[in-house]
Amino acid sequence: MIEGAAAFVAWLGASLVVLSDGRRGLSAGVAVAAVGLAGVAFEVSGPIAAASLLAGGLCAAALRWRSGPPGWKVMPPGSTGWLILCIASAIFGLWIAAAVMTGQGGGLRFAALVTVVMMGARILSARGGAAGLSAAATVALAIALAGALSPQAPGFEIYLAGAAVAVLITFVASEKTDAA
Amino acid sequence: MQPEAAVLLVGAAGSLVFAVVFGPARQPGILLLRGGVGLVAMALIAVAPDLDTALLVVLALAVLQGAIELNRGLAVRLRAPVFAISLVALALVLDRASGPAVLHRFAAVGIAAGLAAIVGLLPFMHEFDPAEAVSASPIGWMAFAGPIVAAVLVLDSRRLFTPDTDAVFAAILIGLGLLNALWGSVSAWVTEDGTAAWRYAFMSDWGLVLCGFGLTVADGQSAALLMLLSIVVCRLPLYLMSRPALREKTTTDRPVNLVVAAVLSGSAPFVGFAARVLLFRGATELFWPLGLVLAVSMLLWLPGSLRLGRTLGQPRGRQLVGIAIVLAVNTALGLYPLPVLSLAGT
Amino acid sequence: MPSSALLLPIALPLVAAGVIAALGAAGLEVGRLVSAGAAWAAVASILALWLPVRSTQELILGQMGFGSGFDLRLDAVGFAFGLMVSVPAAVVLTLQKRSWQEAALATLALGASMAAVEAGGVVLTAIAGGAAATAVVLVLDTEDPRARRPSWAMLLAGWLALAWAGTILQVRGGTAVYSAVPVSSITWQVASLLAVAALLASGLLPWRSWPSQVWSRPSLRAAGIALATLYPLGFYILVRLYDMGDGRYPLPAFDGVLSVLGLAVALVAALRAQGATTRREFFGEVVPVFGGYALMSLALGTPLGLSAALVALATTAALAAAVALLPDRASIASLAVVAAAVGIPPSLAFGSRVLGIEATFEAGDFLGLIGLGGTLVWVLMMVAGARAAGLPAGRGRPVAETSPAVALGIAVATLVAGPALALFQASFANPAAAEVMPSAGSLGGSLQSVATVSTVLPAVALFVPLLIIGSAAYLASGSSSQRAEARPPVLAPVAPRALAGWREAVAAARVPEQYRTILNLRELEAAASGGRPVLWLAALVALAFAVTR
Repeated sequence: MIEGAAAFVAWLGASLVVLSDGRRGLSAGVAVAAVGLAGVAFEVSGPIAAASLLAGGLCAAALRWRSGPPGWKVMPPGSTGWLILCIASAIFGLWIAAAVMTGQGGGLRFAALVTVVMMGARILSARGGAAGLSAAATVALAIALAGALSPQAPGFEIYLAGAAVAVLITFVASEKTDAA
Repeated sequence: MQPEAAVLLVGAAGSLVFAVVFGPARQPGILLLRGGVGLVAMALIAVAPDLDTALLVVLALAVLQGAIELNRGLAVRLRAPVFAISLVALALVLDRASGPAVLHRFAAVGIAAGLAAIVGLLPFMHEFDPAEAVSASPIGWMAFAGPIVAAVLVLDSRRLFTPDTDAVFAAILIGLGLLNALWGSVSAWVTEDGTAAWRYAFMSDWGLVLCGFGLTVADGQSAALLMLLSIVVCRLPLYLMSRPALREKTTTDRPVNLVVAAVLSGSAPFVGFAARVLLFRGATELFWPLGLVLAVSMLLWLPGSLRLGRTLGQPRGRQLVGIAIVLAVNTALGLYPLPVLSLAGT
Repeated sequence: MPSSALLLPIALPLVAAGVIAALGAAGLEVGRLVSAGAAWAAVASILALWLPVRSTQELILGQMGFGSGFDLRLDAVGFAFGLMVSVPAAVVLTLQKRSWQEAALATLALGASMAAVEAGGVVLTAIAGGAAATAVVLVLDTEDPRARRPSWAMLLAGWLALAWAGTILQVRGGTAVYSAVPVSSITWQVASLLAVAALLASGLLPWRSWPSQVWSRPSLRAAGIALATLYPLGFYILVRLYDMGDGRYPLPAFDGVLSVLGLAVALVAALRAQGATTRREFFGEVVPVFGGYALMSLALGTPLGLSAALVALATTAALAAAVALLPDRASIASLAVVAAAVGIPPSLAFGSRVLGIEATFEAGDFLGLIGLGGTLVWVLMMVAGARAAGLPAGRGRPVAETSPAVALGIAVATLVAGPALALFQASFANPAAAEVMPSAGSLGGSLQSVATVSTVLPAVALFVPLLIIGSAAYLASGSSSQRAEARPPVLAPVAPRALAGWREAVAAARVPEQYRTILNLRELEAAASGGRPVLWLAALVALAFAVTR
């Protein structure tokens, strides 16, 4: 139940990243996605994993809050198609994760799947560096989480690595995204 | 660390040192810094305990490289690598989950396409600005970081695949390989811009790399490794040497240019020919008509290589010594690749 | 001698090339001395290795990394071809002054060619031969980048084909070592690939190819090296094909097709020769005519044919050196070379052609018609030679790279060596034929006569009187230099004009103005290289669809 809810939150955060162009909207999206992914990680891999993802995602979100195009710019003109993409990703992702794929961990599969797909789509459409970096940071968190799907249960290192990369991504190029 | 990746890492390090010492870089310190960071990232990729960690490092590297120059916009520069990483991540999700066999086939598609997208091959070519610094351009992926990423990605993902998935993966690699070999070799010949010609030449070499990886026999893997080495220790240094002449758009027709053309075209006794022999062996073992297609495509290397040889200009002094070193290394690898292949465990 | 001595004929030229390059880069011009020394040392080492032992020697040094071991082998075939490659190269390297860059590359080509001949397997021959081809192209381009040179693509194709054939033998038969390849592996497909490789490597094509074109260059230094080091290698492959096939080609049709091709090569070259406008043009066709004859005889599948081909190839090698040293002016030397080239009795060329034609008749069936064709070619060459005596010399070449005395010596040597045909065949050609053809034991005769299946050719008894008569006739004519006038060709070359017309028509072909293509390559390239996500997604969907089938 918690896993499912957390996966839904992750999707929500990813959708916010897809639909926002301003730094506040992107930041909120990254933060919400981090919360959702951390929630799934908590259920699957324990508290350290969850804390790592949460800390990394929130740091990245905080950095994004301070750099990028000003404002929220959530659902700017022309984003209907992206909204449909978000909804379609949720439906399609749910079907694949719950019906096509089998076994335990449907929430984990859903969260990893939709986050990666939606961030991949976001990077293709991004016109500004802030959006691209936010998508990249969210992908980093999702990759770390997807490691839990591996038959060999990963240690907490992959979550730490994911968090570190998410922060690094947002930190390194943050000064170059203000105008982009 | 996988032995293949270790060998490629050493090759990349050698190329970096070569570029700093013998290359015509206007700011060798910056080249060394950027290259050093890249090497560290590549080493981390090579020693990564799993593909997820490796992907994270690739992602970080992509962002760092994207931030070097912003002439094309950060979003555009990030587009291809982040898309590629997303593809591979998606593929890993599909492969790890239990489900129908078609999911694993899609995983194979994701990894093959992701590999092509990271390196910048057809049909996932990166946007390209010929005036960019090498460290910031897609050629950095093709010639410096890409070989190690490819080795790690292919070899690690093969361990995850079932036989059916592996067969699909191999087929996709061979298909993409032939496409890139043919397109790259012809485009290197006919494209107008010299720097773009070099890019296509890298692409054509990568075509043979993918074919080698797709031939799921030892000879195919050896061929792929040799071609990757030839990209790192041969084509990349020669490209760096040609940058000044490419900027000035001058061409020269002296013996040294023809020797370089011979190296680039995969003629005997250079490493490209040895790799081709191994590809023939692999193709004959699995599917002999592939050998015929490979043979025909290999002939297409020649016109482009003659053109690229002329873009080297008239090297003198230190650069001439550098070219001699490149030729010597290539000849040694071409005549006696056994030690390197043994080190790489193929 | 230890088996490691087999490395000498290869290592000496390679080391010499390195020394020349190093010293040349430092400003010391030692090219001629070192290259000539290395070449003659290679000749001496081949002789020293073979003559005391006269049986196969091998050196196996272990794997190289691409499925092939570093196996060297010196048998009668290697000995014969080794001399064919090294002796003319040594002669031209000694007598012609060249820059250190040219000398280094030429010596490199010699070393690579010797490696190809001494290689114990197909793949190693391919690598070494490919290296020789690369070196030859480089030396030709270094001498004069604007002059004609062999098509690099054609040479590369030949050596790639050989490499491919070698890998097929390794995979299907388990080995590509000449002495160990299972006969069953030599299918007609593999043999075809080997034959194509051989034909491309030596330019044995029924149209004007590089063995003829290189003689039209302003300087003939590099041309001599190219012919010496590269031309025999294609024939070497065909001889080794007998070795691998237990003395025969996989299909009888093979013999016929290759023999006919050889005849075609010789015939077309002879037609060009008789239509030449300068003596240099005539000399340019000598090697293709000889090569065509050699191919014609070699492919018959009989010991006599193979033996005759080897004698013809040895004569070709000698004449290639002679032509490379000949100045572009009327002289006794050019007259002698013309005589040697057309096969005036009792020259070696005469003897080899007699044997070659005899071999076609003895081969049976329609192959005898090929012999008749060979006779026609001979007549054409006689006519061409008679014309050539009165033709203008040519464009002229630097005197410093000529040596008319040596050219004369070589030509006279091949002319007077005719009576020693049996000796030459018994010591040089027959052992090589016996090496690759078990049935070559039927080659008999003595040092004075050649015994064929149906007859005996008393070389000494017949050729010595011919030599005496010929010499007397020449002395009696009182002509010490050519004073003939140019005569028109017997057969006007129609085909080249027709071909030129077709080429012009094709080149002038244009798409009508009204046509608009839907395939614009530039736009396609721009679309593919523009980094467009739509293309990426489309490709992904296509791949995903493909794997569901």
